[in-house]
Amino acid sequence: MRCPRWVPCSVVAVGLSLAAVSARAADAALIDAAKKEGEVVWYTTQIIAQLVRPVSAAFEKKYGIKVRSTRANSTELSVKIINESRAGKPQSDVFDGTSTVVPLKKEGFVLQWLPDPAKAYPAQYKDPEGYWVANNLFFLTPGFNTALVPKGTEPRSYQALLDPKWRGKIAWSTSPTSSGGPGFIGTVLTEMGNESGVLYLRELSKQRIANIGSAAREVLDQVIAGEYLLALQIFNHHTVISAKKGAPVEWITMEPVTGTLSVISVHKNAPHPNAAKLLVDFITSSEGQNIFRDAEYLPADPAVPALTPSLKPDEGRFRTHFFTPEQTEDNIVAWKKVYDDLFR
Amino acid sequence: MTSSAELAHEIRSAGREQAASPRDPTIATLWSRLAAYQTLLLAAVLIVVLAALVLPPFVFLLKASVVDAQRGGEWSLANFEAVLGSRRFLITSANSLVFAAGSAVVALGIGWITAWIVERTNTPLKPLAYLTAIISLGTPYILYVTAWLLLFGKAGPINQLYRTLTGTSDVLINVYSMPGMIMVEGFLWSPLAFLLVGATLRNANPELEEAARVSGASTWMTIRRVTLRLSLPSILALAMLVFIRAIEAFEVPALVGLPGRISVLTTDIYGNMVAQAPPDIGGASALSVLMLALVLVLLAIYGRLSRHAERFATITGKGFRPRPFDLGRLRYAAAGILVLNFLLLLVLPIAMLAWVSLLPFYQPVSPAALALVTLDNYRTVFSPDHVGLIANTLLVAVATATLAVALTFLAAWLAVRRAPGGWLVERLATIPLVFPGLILGIAVMQLFLHLPIPLYGTLGILIWAFVINYLPYGMRYSAAGMLQIHRELEESAEMCGASPLMRLRRIVAPLLAPALLAGWLFIFLMAARVLSLAILLSGPRSQTMAVTLFDLWTNGQGTELAALGLIWSMLMAMIAAVFYMLARRSAASALART
Repeated sequence: MRCPRWVPCSVVAVGLSLAAVSARAADAALIDAAKKEGEVVWYTTQIIAQLVRPVSAAFEKKYGIKVRSTRANSTELSVKIINESRAGKPQSDVFDGTSTVVPLKKEGFVLQWLPDPAKAYPAQYKDPEGYWVANNLFFLTPGFNTALVPKGTEPRSYQALLDPKWRGKIAWSTSPTSSGGPGFIGTVLTEMGNESGVLYLRELSKQRIANIGSAAREVLDQVIAGEYLLALQIFNHHTVISAKKGAPVEWITMEPVTGTLSVISVHKNAPHPNAAKLLVDFITSSEGQNIFRDAEYLPADPAVPALTPSLKPDEGRFRTHFFTPEQTEDNIVAWKKVYDDLFR
Repeated sequence: MTSSAELAHEIRSAGREQAASPRDPTIATLWSRLAAYQTLLLAAVLIVVLAALVLPPFVFLLKASVVDAQRGGEWSLANFEAVLGSRRFLITSANSLVFAAGSAVVALGIGWITAWIVERTNTPLKPLAYLTAIISLGTPYILYVTAWLLLFGKAGPINQLYRTLTGTSDVLINVYSMPGMIMVEGFLWSPLAFLLVGATLRNANPELEEAARVSGASTWMTIRRVTLRLSLPSILALAMLVFIRAIEAFEVPALVGLPGRISVLTTDIYGNMVAQAPPDIGGASALSVLMLALVLVLLAIYGRLSRHAERFATITGKGFRPRPFDLGRLRYAAAGILVLNFLLLLVLPIAMLAWVSLLPFYQPVSPAALALVTLDNYRTVFSPDHVGLIANTLLVAVATATLAVALTFLAAWLAVRRAPGGWLVERLATIPLVFPGLILGIAVMQLFLHLPIPLYGTLGILIWAFVINYLPYGMRYSAAGMLQIHRELEESAEMCGASPLMRLRRIVAPLLAPALLAGWLFIFLMAARVLSLAILLSGPRSQTMAVTLFDLWTNGQGTELAALGLIWSMLMAMIAAVFYMLARRSAASALART
């Protein structure tokens, strides 16, 4: 917060929080302050072409505030933000991801603040301590190339993945997050227990799964291209987005499906604190959530239904293992170790 | 080229200008005293500047490698123990060595054969080889690698053709393997190998070949017993250079090695830096220091080899063009090799990229996929964001090339003229050769995260790291050019009363201009496409083209990558063509002068 030299910052802060009592007035003040900042830097894990572009364009159009974004996976973003913040040079205002926030919360780099729209969100979609709020849901499951794998012959269970006919024909992302090999391992271990889980994974490692050093989106694209027949741990809504454009791809309800949240937070020392809040407010508002919906993402706002409801467990009638950001983060090191031992 | 009459005039007027400025005789003495110190002062300033650039990254890297993060920042060798004690280190080091050796053999093999065909035979279609080499100089490696993966991948046209012909569902080439990695890395370096081998073949003494032929040796025997033997030292030196570059390579190990479960040192270091939060900076630094030591040893070997090579090359330089071998009918086979080279290294990768850039998602080449063709990717690529990106990249490349050439121009002068401190200046300017790009990136990042200089997250940090990285290349161009300018020109200017700085400005700089320009363009082209050095340093406001292309790939925007990459490569190919013409001209004028 920038304060005039003759007024202690605390005075301004108290003044601002008093103003916040009247919600509408605070909004106008926030918008004004945000516009003065002129831009907001969003470190994101979302796919730029599918989601970040339409969201940024709508926000820029509405407020005239430039959105700059950089994409990486949750872990890479945490690393980048920790490096920058420890050195006292934070670059990001807003960041999202399935588990980005957890190590940052431990280091004290996250603002304890929730946007107004979050009030209407179910309790499990926001941090009880108020450090993050969900912006959409993710369901991770296999996808296959429908031109090369005739429908009905795709593997529908974890055991079916062990069929030798898939050897060398499966790919996943190396991303040390829920949308990579380690995430798949996490769901297997949770479902089967550690002992039989590791036995299963040992068998699976004989399939020589290709490790793709990029986002699950790219893994799915390589399956669409025919480089591989099956992709594990891809986002089910990505298959719908591609199929709509004519790509030969479908997702498989392999139970249990991995369920996670993409959550969003504001950096505690954000260079553009007001624009940051305004962006998070926009993304979680029904206006922002409708952009998610139109992009075939699964909105977190319970009042905004998905465009393809069958992508969600209740409507699509599939069983999931659900991981909160904290659960993912607490276990990812162990999952990654199994991944390193068996699959790298 | 400056004529000798013009030069003489320049020398005299430089002296007059200098002599005319101070009128008062005491000032004149003072001035001449100062002139005597100018060289010393210049050396001192350069030593300070170069040391400030080059030494801190070493210090920070070494410090990070001996700090134990788990025990609260205590000094210990725990990081090294962890690295050296793991079986993984042995495997990745072995992979790195095999990969680098194989790549050097492939690159030099292709480079030597094409260079020999072009320089020494009467084969038609020679311009194809130059066209291939020049365009490849401007193309970011990341773009090339994705193109070859599309071409040789399981769903690529080559394996597709194989499947159609044989009726199996297998693949002919599994590119995600060690041979695949070696092939792609070898392809990447073969154009440069072609240009450099071509230069040595041009310089080699043709009289010996002539003598062999007169004595009745066949073409093959002449090649084997004379041409190859003569160029062996320089080929070995070049092979060593490619070997070192391949040890440091990042693109091919990340895109080709990882899916095939083949890890090398660079991919492991990158993994330590980004694959866990908080990052294992200690582990990555320890691994980096070990790798630095390896490169240091390799460079020492390279130094010995290339000294040897120069001795072989200096016997030569006769003023006539050797008579090319008449290959007879075989020359059509040789032309076939040039065409194959042209197809594999240029036409097919570009065609694959062009195909993919017109699609909404990857699809194999097929009539059915034609229905999907769209210009959407090009529409997305022509956005204000990308204009800014191109501006950023050009700015970084221009600033890097200018600073590196300016510094090394002065450094080379001090070193070649054996001025006091010249030895130290030369050492400082060439030592960054030991830094692999990724590791220099880590070191510079550490540096600016800890220093109160607000460069982190700006283009400034990129330029800083790039200048360090390219000092040795600037030095190579400047020093080589400087060696060709005889001392006597400067001495006569000195006799006329010109101070050292005046001599530098009026005599040396104009004569050296072609070499400096060639060096400038070389550094510009390298800086515009390097990924490994930039990847950890660029932020949301300081992206360069290579980093953006890599991001597009990791983020699943492969078809946009193809469109953006093609446009960028076209721009760079034009600049590379200018570079090539200048380099040729400066080589020709250098030859005319000796």
